[in-house]
Parts: sequence; structure tokens; C-alpha cells
Amino acid sequence: MLFSSISFLYYFLPIVLVAYFAVPYRWKNLVLLLSSLGFYFFGEPQYTIILIFSTIVDYTHSLVIEKKRGQPAAKAALISSIVLNLSILGFFKYADFFIRNINAVFSTDFPLLHLSLPLGISFFTFQTMSYTIDVYRNEASIQRNPLGLATYITLFPQLVAGPIVRYRTVANEINDRTHSFDLFAYGVRRFAIGLAKKVLIANQLGELYQITLQTDNPTVLFYWIGAIAFSLQIYFDFSGYSDMAIGLGRIFGFHFLENFNYPYISKSVSEFWRRWHISLGTWFKDYLYIPLGGNRGSTLIWFRNIFIVWFLTGFWHGANWNFIFWGLYFGILLILEKAILQRILNRLPKLVQHAYVILIVVLGFVIFNNEDLGVIVQTFQGMFGGLHLPFANAETIYYLRSYAVVILIAVIGATPLMNNLVHRGTKDRVAEKWINFFEPIFLIALLLIVTGYLVDSSFNPFLYFRF
Amino acid sequence: MMKNKFTTFIFMGFLLIFSILNIVLPPTEISLSERRRLHLFSDLEIRELLTGDFLEDFDQAALDQFFLREQFRRLKAIIDGKLFHKTDNNDIIVIGDSAYKLDYPLNTESVTRFTELLHTITALYAQDNPVYFAMIPDKNYYVDPGPDFLTMDYEKLEQLLAEQLEDITIIDLTDTLSLDDYYHTDPHWKQENLDMVVARLQEAMGMETDFSQIAYKAEQYAPFYGAYYGQSALNLAADTLTYRISEVMKDVIVTNFEYRGDPDKAPGVYETDKLDSMDSYDVFLSGSTPLITLENPNSTTDKELVIFRDSFASSLTPLLIEEYQKITLIDIRYVSHEIIGDYVDFGDSEILFLYSTLVINHSEILK
Repeated sequence: MLFSSISFLYYFLPIVLVAYFAVPYRWKNLVLLLSSLGFYFFGEPQYTIILIFSTIVDYTHSLVIEKKRGQPAAKAALISSIVLNLSILGFFKYADFFIRNINAVFSTDFPLLHLSLPLGISFFTFQTMSYTIDVYRNEASIQRNPLGLATYITLFPQLVAGPIVRYRTVANEINDRTHSFDLFAYGVRRFAIGLAKKVLIANQLGELYQITLQTDNPTVLFYWIGAIAFSLQIYFDFSGYSDMAIGLGRIFGFHFLENFNYPYISKSVSEFWRRWHISLGTWFKDYLYIPLGGNRGSTLIWFRNIFIVWFLTGFWHGANWNFIFWGLYFGILLILEKAILQRILNRLPKLVQHAYVILIVVLGFVIFNNEDLGVIVQTFQGMFGGLHLPFANAETIYYLRSYAVVILIAVIGATPLMNNLVHRGTKDRVAEKWINFFEPIFLIALLLIVTGYLVDSSFNPFLYFRF
Repeated sequence: MMKNKFTTFIFMGFLLIFSILNIVLPPTEISLSERRRLHLFSDLEIRELLTGDFLEDFDQAALDQFFLREQFRRLKAIIDGKLFHKTDNNDIIVIGDSAYKLDYPLNTESVTRFTELLHTITALYAQDNPVYFAMIPDKNYYVDPGPDFLTMDYEKLEQLLAEQLEDITIIDLTDTLSLDDYYHTDPHWKQENLDMVVARLQEAMGMETDFSQIAYKAEQYAPFYGAYYGQSALNLAADTLTYRISEVMKDVIVTNFEYRGDPDKAPGVYETDKLDSMDSYDVFLSGSTPLITLENPNSTTDKELVIFRDSFASSLTPLLIEEYQKITLIDIRYVSHEIIGDYVDFGDSEILFLYSTLVINHSEILK
């Protein structure tokens, strides 16, 4: 079920909210668990069992870890839990990738499994692993109540597309959390803004991107418009989803960590990745990069660690070579920045530093978004004049003109400009009064407009759902 | 804080009001503005629930059955135009009070498929018959292209048709029409404005009737909301639909092969019951139908005409009936050209292929 669907907004959510706030406090986790299982079951009925199995694995293994703490059995339980979780992920997500490559290298003919990917498996697998690892490291207290752990793992606001909420972030709130109008209203604000980012901006940029793909008369400018539209689309799509997740979490009393922090204002690739999909970056840093040794040791080891982390970051995003290349592309750029590039960048004007990041990221998303390596090469050729296309034509101008305002709003929205303006306004008493008066009206207007777009359109896929 | 309480209550109230209304209000079966059947909520079945089909169906029905659906579509169209300044909404461009549908680019493969089909039909049924072809320009043809409008390459289309239909007599209608000859809210041409088209056909096909001498009585129907009205979702000014009746038309025997076997269905040239249907334009010869014949008992000749056509011909054909003893209209969007010989005797009829650019550019819909 998509957050940005009529089914969720006007059927699922109101029922869950009424049920959640109507029951006594001790039943709230049960309501959340049942709602979350229902949320998952309606979208992915056949794989709900995997979610339940994963929960049982982590619950039982963490009990063993706790009981045998300090003994080899604890480590064995941790390894067993990780192997089981990664096996499930590997089987459903990567089996066909490996079969295809084995067949290609060894000229074998193993049949593909053609399994559909369980919804959100990459996200909830990483979440459950973080729980067991944190318990093993004694960085999180064990959750002895199976209902509590199941509530955490299946929590529907972040179940299928993140952010990857680590257990320690919400451990206390699973057992004891508060609810208030302040939290609820904050959640509504974040949810409504995220919904608008997804429906009003990301979906329209997606339409534009599709138009650039389907044209019979490509131009150099159209290739650039397509690449930029997709880069903005994926940001508004994913950050919008994260806003909705954080907002819903807050309504139910949870404080999830931020997942995006205006990545497109970065002045280096390193900074970009500190601002983009923060929960994934932090996960890899804490559970892979640091255990590998991080930047301790020789430069060679350091770069090796970066290389491994970015190989796996790319592979996490999808079982195809383009995702691996995409990860390695950033891994190499990060190594280059740390080795030499950052020093050069620091001497350049800020505008050049921003332009460098935008260019790198836009080109990176061309790799990310095309599983066919031939299409990636063709797109780069198209963007840089290698296909000998005209710079623009009537169609390019028409669509650029038609989507100019959407692109402009997206560009401004990708910066903290509006947020800073509102923040500044809240410091002025008169402006704050106006903001307080208009905010609820603005939120309802957003909901009405979003509903209009949802009712009118069937184009509404979330890009991150299959990762 | 008061504001947060207010935000909470207004959000919950908003969701709950729409939820309850969506649940309790009776379903709507048809969208008149979109001219389609709406999805309805289906009963919960275990098999569909387990395959995930239930949610898919539910999503569709929730979209289609949403309370104030038309108003929400209009809100979207207004925001698209006024806030985002998009030039089209769902491919509908509104200029002034007129709506146009983007049909871009020219699909040369479709044109070739179309001309090959015409050759196939000619070879099958009309090897020794006089054969004509006339392209009906859609109304975008007459709009000045600019940064806010995108049209197919009509020049190339005409060139391709001329090259690929060398053995067929091509009748050029482009200079007999202008933007004023089309409805504002519909793709079709206005019957009352087709005198020059008729004159051009008369001239090219050697018709003997002096059409300019025919006295018509004009009947009007308003408001007429055309196909683009609903698609635009905007509050465009309605058109007035005019249909012309002559003395000869009153005696014409119309046989719609879809109605055969139904003695109550004897619609005549104009099926006025259709004026209040989803598409009022269906008043002309009952609208879309695979095969229909018009027989003129007052004809002084034994000339027969077979028109392979799309919907534009429905309003034109009644104006030509004075010339012929029989006109047969074949719409191969609804019947395969391969079997049409089982139903139509082509004899020494004149053959006219009369197609709009909208169909020529999407010839995959022809059978």
C-alpha cells in the first residue's frame, strides 16, 4: 500500500488512527502491530510470512545472545542471525543475478527463479540486523516482549521504504512513549509536506522524465532535462516518503532520525552522502566501515574499506551491475576527494563546488536508473553531443516550457530556502501569528490539491519500493 | 498550543469526513465527463486477497468512487494550469474556450500501416471501382504552433500520403476548413459548416447534385459538452450542436447492422435519443458502429457509395445522400476489413476512404 494512495489516506489511515487513539495505552502496540501486518499483507500477502519469520529469528537469537553473553554461543547466535537474514535477502533479491552471471561466465544454463522481490525486504532486513548486532554489542537493551520487537520491526510508517530505523533509536519509545497534540500536529505537517513533495513534485517530474524517454525526436537538451528531472524526482520521491514516515512516526509517538538534509546544496560528494539517505549511510558506517577498520591503519586499507562499503551500497540498491557501478563510481570519487580532489575543490569558488556535485550526482543517477549498460552509454553520448543530435527542437521547448515551473519549484524546494524563511518568520511575533493562522489552512489546501492529483492520475509508483 | 490542537482536529476531521462519505455514499457507475465505466468495489474474496489483486482492485475503485471526484479533477486541472503553468493537462491544451488534444509526434509507421491497409482493401474489394481518399485534418491543423502548442508534422504527413497513395485519387480538404468549423469542446467538425467540404467532394467525385440548392432545416441541441470537455476537467463554455434535416433525409432508410433483429430500433439519419447520452455527437447516424447503410428511395440515380470512415463521416454522410441511391459506411475500427466482403456488395460502387488525421496517426486501432 502506498502512502500516496487514496486507499491509504482515506481508508487505512483514518481507521488506524481512530483505533490507535481509542484503545488504552497498553493495547497501542498491539493496534500498531496488527495495522502494520495488515498494511504489509494487503500489499504483499504471500511474503508476510517472511516478515514474521525474520521477526522470530531476531527475537530468538537475541535471547540466546543475551543469555550467553560473553560466551562463544552468543557470537554463534549473532552470526546465525546475520546469515539467516542475509540468506533471505540474498535468495529473494540476488539469486537471479548470481544465476545470470554464473550462466554467462561458465556457459551454464541454470534456470532463473524469477522471484518477485518482497516489499521493503532490504529495509527491514537491515533494521532487524541492527537490532541483533546492537544487542550483541550491548548498545541496545534486549526486547523480551515479542510484541514489542514485532511492533518495531513491522512498524508500518517505515516498513517498506525506510528510513532504516535502528532499534536503539526507538527502543525506549517502543515500551514507553508519549502522545500529544504537539507531536500529532508536527507529524501532520511532516506527513502533508512529504505527501505534497511526492505527489505534486516527484510524480510530475516522473512524467517529464518518461516523456524524455519516450520521445521519437531526442535532442541534447532533452537528454539533460531527462537526467535532471530524474535526479530531482528521486530526491522528492524518497525524501517525501521519508518525511511521511517521520511524520507518521511522530503521530504515533516515535522520533525517527532524519534521512535527508538538503543533499543538493553539498559542496563535495562526501558531503552529499552525509546528507542523502542518511540512515543507510550511517548503517553501513556503523556495521561495516568501522568494523572493517574505518580510516585507521594504512591509506591502502582505508581506501579498500571505502571501496567495499560502496560496492555493497550499490549492490544493496539493486541486483544489477549498474547499481554496483553506481556504488563504485561514488566510492572512487570519495577516494579521489580524500586523496586529492577535496584540497583542489576547497580553493575553488563555492558555485563551482556546487556545480561539481550536481554534475557528478546527475551523471550518477543516469547509471543508477538504467540497468542496460548500453543505454547508459547512449545517454551519456546524448548528453555530451556524441549522438550528433540537434541541441533542441519544438518538442523540447514545449515540454521545457510546460514543466518549467515544476522544475523551478523543485530546484528551490531542494534547498533550505523556504525552511529558513519559515524559521525566520517564527522569530518575528507578527509573522509568527500569520504563520500560525495560515499553517492549518495551508496543510488542508495541500491535502485537497494532493487528493485532486491522486484522483485524476493513476501514475503513482514509489521509486524506492523495490529496493 | 492552540494551533497544534486545531491542526490535529482539522486533519482528523478532514480524513474522517471524506472516509465516511466515501464509504456510505452509493457508487457511481459511469463517468459522463470521461465517458467510461468506473471501477466498483468488489466483494472480498480470499483468493484475490492472497494474490494481492484485491488491493489493486480496491485502489482503482477508491480512485474512481471518490466523493466529489469531478470537482477534485477540476481542482487538479486548475492547479496544473494556474499554479504550475503547465501547457496541457492530461494532454488537453485549452486556448481561450477551446480544447485541443496533443497528438504528437507524427507516427510515420502508423501512416505506412494505414496506406498499406487502404491498398489491401482496394485489392480485395475495389479493383475496378473509382477510389478516392480524403484526409480530414484534426483541428490542431489550424492552430499556429508555438512554444505553447505542439502539433504533428502535417506537411510530412500529407507528403507521405501523396507518395504512398499514388494510385488513389486524393481529395484535398485542408483549405475547405478552418478552426471555426470545429466544436470548442470536441474533436469533431460542425455539420452546419461542411458546405465547402461537400462542394470539394462533389467536384472531385463528379457528383451531379447541386448541393447548394438543398433546403435544410437546422435543429439545435445545447448545451453540448464534447469529448474534450470531460478530459480537460475544466469549466469550458459548452457548444451548440446543430444537425441539418432535408426533405430527402426524412425518407432515407437507415440500417444499422448492430440493431438488426431489434424491430424497435429504426433510428433514421439522426438518432435524437442519443442527444442526451454520454456522447451527443452520436446523434449523427447513431455514432460508432461497424456497418450502417443509408438507402434513398427518392434517388433518381442508381449510384452507390461505400465510405470507409471514422466518426467524422457520421455528420458528413447525410449531406451526401441526395446524390446516391445507397451509401454504405464501414468502420474498420469495429469490424475486420477481411470479413467485410461477407456483408457488403461492392459492385461498381464508388469507394471513398475518409479518415481524420487522428486515426491515420494511430492506425493500430484499424482492423
